[in-house]
Amino acid sequence: MALPPLLLQTAGSLAAILALAGLARWLKLGAAPLLDSDDAVRLAVGEVEDGFDPVTIARDTGSRAAVARDAQGQIMVIKRHGNRYAGRVLMPTAKARLWKDRGFTTLEVDCGEARFGKVFLDLPDPDAWADAINQLKQSRDA
Amino acid sequence: MPDFNPTQYAVPLFVVAVLAEMLWAKFRAPEAYEPKDTLVSLSFGLGSTLAGALLGGLALALMFLAYDYRVVDFGPEWWALWWAWPLCFVLDDLAYYWSHRAGHRIRWMWAAHVNHHSSQHYNLSTALRQSWTGNLTIGILFSLPLVLLGFHPVMIAICGGFNLIYQFWIHTEAIKRMPRWFEAVMNTPSHHRVHHATNPRYLDRNYAGVFIVWDRMFGTFEPEVDGEPIRYGIVKQLGSFNVLWAVFHEWIGMITDIWRSPWRHKWSYLLREPGWSHDGSRETSDMIRAKWQARVGADVAPAATSVATRNPIAASGEAA
Repeated sequence: MALPPLLLQTAGSLAAILALAGLARWLKLGAAPLLDSDDAVRLAVGEVEDGFDPVTIARDTGSRAAVARDAQGQIMVIKRHGNRYAGRVLMPTAKARLWKDRGFTTLEVDCGEARFGKVFLDLPDPDAWADAINQLKQSRDA
Repeated sequence: MPDFNPTQYAVPLFVVAVLAEMLWAKFRAPEAYEPKDTLVSLSFGLGSTLAGALLGGLALALMFLAYDYRVVDFGPEWWALWWAWPLCFVLDDLAYYWSHRAGHRIRWMWAAHVNHHSSQHYNLSTALRQSWTGNLTIGILFSLPLVLLGFHPVMIAICGGFNLIYQFWIHTEAIKRMPRWFEAVMNTPSHHRVHHATNPRYLDRNYAGVFIVWDRMFGTFEPEVDGEPIRYGIVKQLGSFNVLWAVFHEWIGMITDIWRSPWRHKWSYLLREPGWSHDGSRETSDMIRAKWQARVGADVAPAATSVATRNPIAASGEAA
């Protein structure tokens, strides 16, 4: 039985796609940059929003995420996305939670966008960051 | 009448070229690719082909309908008129420029075209990141003047195919600049990197398909500045590799805005530029650029590394 041309073309394209994506993985393409210094965070912050000028920065101990606050009290969360970064300036809909386990406290930041996902950070003074993020909502309600 | 789709024949070339660029990246710029991003981009390409097969007939039917009202009749052997082909190619590229410009300035069209821009990478796989929903917009209207002028829809489709093939190779960081005369007339990797950038100075610039002269003529040209690193993607990066979210996120956002907005603003959320909001709570590309210009002043001193500096091989293509 002869296959319809579109089906044949689709199957061939799918095979090529999987082969190329597999090859990219096999070649170990996509080096993983780290937010391992405040300068690296500042660079990433500028990519998320031009002109956002952090006065306070806190980095995840794994250097995969960070939070930053500017002089106006705006807070930005940044996460690694593949080998690039994505971030959001947090709105009053953002929420923060603390997870405590065996002496460690992890900050969970939910920017309110389901598809962006929650960002988890192990960083110094997580309680203060959680309070600051949750106060964004209170400042809206006030 | 010719029955020929140039894009189909170019697919093996696309695959080989992506393969070659990956090998280049392996040794020169591993960060130029990200396997998950590549998978998403190539899935876009496949989905776009299927969507075209399902919905492309509607656009072609509309063009054939309009062809009955053509001003000039090139005769039954229109395909044998040698001069009509280059003329059609140039005029189709002009139509592409305006369609593409509308694709960035009308949110309804941006909802479909944003797919091509949502990668934070710029490589040959990005070129294949084509929209699934382009046929749900008014893009076809920009081709109708050519049909009404007398160009056969099949001739326009073939020229459009070659236009698309041309645009494939310019999606790369491996080439810095082409010779000066070429950069002056043709769209190039340098010009198109600008188009894919989210740096405020580059937003909504360089809409050209094949000939960059349209941007120079209509005031939307911006040269690539050596010394300013380019950031690729969209103003609000997705932060997700979910293909379906990547395809439909702007449609969902636009429909939600239309649904929630006051009646008098609903059409504006469909037809005004991306980022426009009735309460001023968001920023358009013009607003972002104005804010940036106010912050840095008119004379901007580039400070960091350019694409070419990050990718040593790219420097070998210095402009003549």
